[in-house]
Amino acid sequence: MKKIGLTIISVLAILLIVNGCSAAKPTTGTTKADSLIVAIGAEPDTGFDPTKGWGRYGSPLFQSTLLKRDDDLKIEGDLAKSYEVSEDGLTWTVQLRGDVVFSDGKPLTSEDVKFTFDTSASNGSAIDLTNLASVTAGENEVRFQLKKPQSTFVYFLITTGIVPKHAYSSSYAEQPIGSGPFTFVQWDRGQQLIVEANEHYYGKKPSFHKLTFLFLNEDAAFAAAKAGSVDVAYIPSAFSGQEVAGMRLEAVKTVDNRGIAFPYVKAGGKTDKGYAIGNDVTADKAIRLAINTVINREQLVEGVLEGYGSPAYTANDGLPWWNEDTKLEDHDTDAALRILKDGGWSDNDNDGVVEKDGLKAEFTLLYPAGDVTRQSLALAAAEMVKDAGIRINVEGKSWDELEKLMHANAILLGWGSHDPLEMYNLYSSDFGGVDYYNTGYYNNPAVDKWFEQALEARTEEESIEYWKKAQWDGKTGLSVKGDAPWAWLVNIDHLYLVKDGLDIGKQRIQPHGHGWPVTDNIESWGWK
Amino acid sequence: MKQASSVVTLNGANRWNERRRTFASTILAAIFLAGIAACSWLLGSSGLSVQLENRNLAPSMTHLFGTDWLGRDMLSRTVKGLALSIKVGLLGAACSVVIAATMGLMAATLGRTVDRMISWLIDVCMSVPHLVMLILIAFVCGGGLKGIAIGIMLTHWPSLARIIRAEAMQLMAAEYVLVARKLGSSRLKVAIRHLAPHLLPQLLVGFLVLFPHAVLHEAAITFLGLGMSPHQPAIGIILSESMRYLSTGMWWLAVFPGLGLLLTVRAFDKLGNHLRQLVDPRHTHL
Repeated sequence: MKKIGLTIISVLAILLIVNGCSAAKPTTGTTKADSLIVAIGAEPDTGFDPTKGWGRYGSPLFQSTLLKRDDDLKIEGDLAKSYEVSEDGLTWTVQLRGDVVFSDGKPLTSEDVKFTFDTSASNGSAIDLTNLASVTAGENEVRFQLKKPQSTFVYFLITTGIVPKHAYSSSYAEQPIGSGPFTFVQWDRGQQLIVEANEHYYGKKPSFHKLTFLFLNEDAAFAAAKAGSVDVAYIPSAFSGQEVAGMRLEAVKTVDNRGIAFPYVKAGGKTDKGYAIGNDVTADKAIRLAINTVINREQLVEGVLEGYGSPAYTANDGLPWWNEDTKLEDHDTDAALRILKDGGWSDNDNDGVVEKDGLKAEFTLLYPAGDVTRQSLALAAAEMVKDAGIRINVEGKSWDELEKLMHANAILLGWGSHDPLEMYNLYSSDFGGVDYYNTGYYNNPAVDKWFEQALEARTEEESIEYWKKAQWDGKTGLSVKGDAPWAWLVNIDHLYLVKDGLDIGKQRIQPHGHGWPVTDNIESWGWK
Repeated sequence: MKQASSVVTLNGANRWNERRRTFASTILAAIFLAGIAACSWLLGSSGLSVQLENRNLAPSMTHLFGTDWLGRDMLSRTVKGLALSIKVGLLGAACSVVIAATMGLMAATLGRTVDRMISWLIDVCMSVPHLVMLILIAFVCGGGLKGIAIGIMLTHWPSLARIIRAEAMQLMAAEYVLVARKLGSSRLKVAIRHLAPHLLPQLLVGFLVLFPHAVLHEAAITFLGLGMSPHQPAIGIILSESMRYLSTGMWWLAVFPGLGLLLTVRAFDKLGNHLRQLVDPRHTHL
């Protein structure tokens, strides 16, 4: 009897849970007009020290940078009045505004800028300043001496928040002081960050006096939004179908992309750590091209991202250095079959998988096990390439395992940055096997040459032409038109539930999901 | 309650006795097992493939258990997951029984020192929570289905081994065993010819009780995300995935696989309990 009772109770409990979950209880929270509570992503593990990488994705919030991008991603001055690059591209001179003070009231001088870059260079890990020979601080002027010309140096000026020399210590990351729009109040690790408006801020003052960042996972953030306890919540696309009373859904375009990185070389090599490199199947260009051609990116956006995304053709769609010629007609099975046939692949034993010289068109696609979106994309893509006679075996692994396997197997990775340097990192032969960058050991001397020219250009404008040519110069390139070492799939829209009446301004194309890019334009947020 | 219901009532109406109950639950469990096996074989793997145009469908005639967010048929996934759980459960329970029998017999026949060592080993294994041991072993074995199976095989034997040991000890003092020993039968022969046949019912009950335990542990460890790729159909994985979608109202993702697991476990748990009552009414718990 007791056991039957238990069974009944457990069934009831299941029903109760199911019912409880489908019944949303809308509540209208009251919010003080000058403070906001947001749940927009994870906290930075290493704290808020720009010299260790804080603020590279999205604004550094507490600190300000020498230069910044406007809503159209054009570069404009922030702490800098102006900057110029010498004829030979080796000397960058930045004129400071001179009227800026830190939130503790002390003035921001060229010494602080020098200190910031010297510290970043010595920290080394997050910010690659190996090309920086020296920094000289003058009267309201900072001079950067480079070892060789580097057009991408400007991105360090855009992303590196300036820290105060007088208030910098080993605990700075936990108690940052800066000249940005907000000052630090309190950080409870794993829970929340509270910031207040910086009274000394020189730019446009934000209309909110106090911001609270809650560090919730996606489910909790959604629950908090439903309960009306947050003003802005970052949610995954799985939740996008649900209406939340009192809030609206804002989808922000991104270059937060996902794609398949193929091993570009034939099997046989080994990394320094002894991990295998290369894969005979994906080393064949026809295979990579056929996969790129047969995949239906629109359907991936509809099916996996619930429509909140866009097809991706490169790592930098929509950015100023994107070469639009790299778009291709996808979802074309006939074309894919033709490519394979021309490449010598055919299905002779009628098992649905093409082969060439006894080698079956079959390989493993890895994805990080904790990531549902990548899992879904991997499975859906594997299903789509079946039409072309290619068999992809999908496997989910932990990041530790992935690092050992990713040079010999295809892997589903995500990138996306406001910086063409990322393109260089992903495709340059110098970066073969470095971190997660060029996992497939892609190398093309022509592409490397364009990269060299892009890097050595004096300004961003000059470099853009070379970046575009690296993607496709009419003969070869790193895009699908050329060698197709990647099959880019989708750009994922970032979805925010925003309280009705709250205006979060014009959002820029957002980079890959780390950090809080949505707060980039925090000063233009306000109640309508 | 149990004892009361098995007693023949005064008015002479013959209520179901333990024997009949056992028989009935055996048949039910067998039908269930055969059903899962047949379904798993008939359904093939086509239902597991991604069909983006059929995603998030509620249960209907074409998809009895509905579909998930990638359009995979939940009936196929549930059945495949259960089949996997049952396979791992059978393997784990069978191995545990073999280990327990070997350990128990060795402890009883090989003398005091061996007995002490084995008792110590049993105590050590029982002092560490099952799941922790399981995770450790699965991790050491390099994860994957193999790791989980080995983990389950190596963690479920101690409680049964203890019972077998006690039983075998008792038998060792029985006269016919003493006679056999005096007549010069080797320890091995005594263990195999004279002890093992007597322990068979205990081992069978042990197997049936350990089986649901092993199934639950397989579900638990896959629920925690250990070992297998998260897209492979295992009940634990399916249940943990469904958590994410419950709040969006897709109840069928959790309910059917959950009920399937519940049924499997209950069916064999009941069968094991009935059989134990029948075989050995004196011992009430394992």
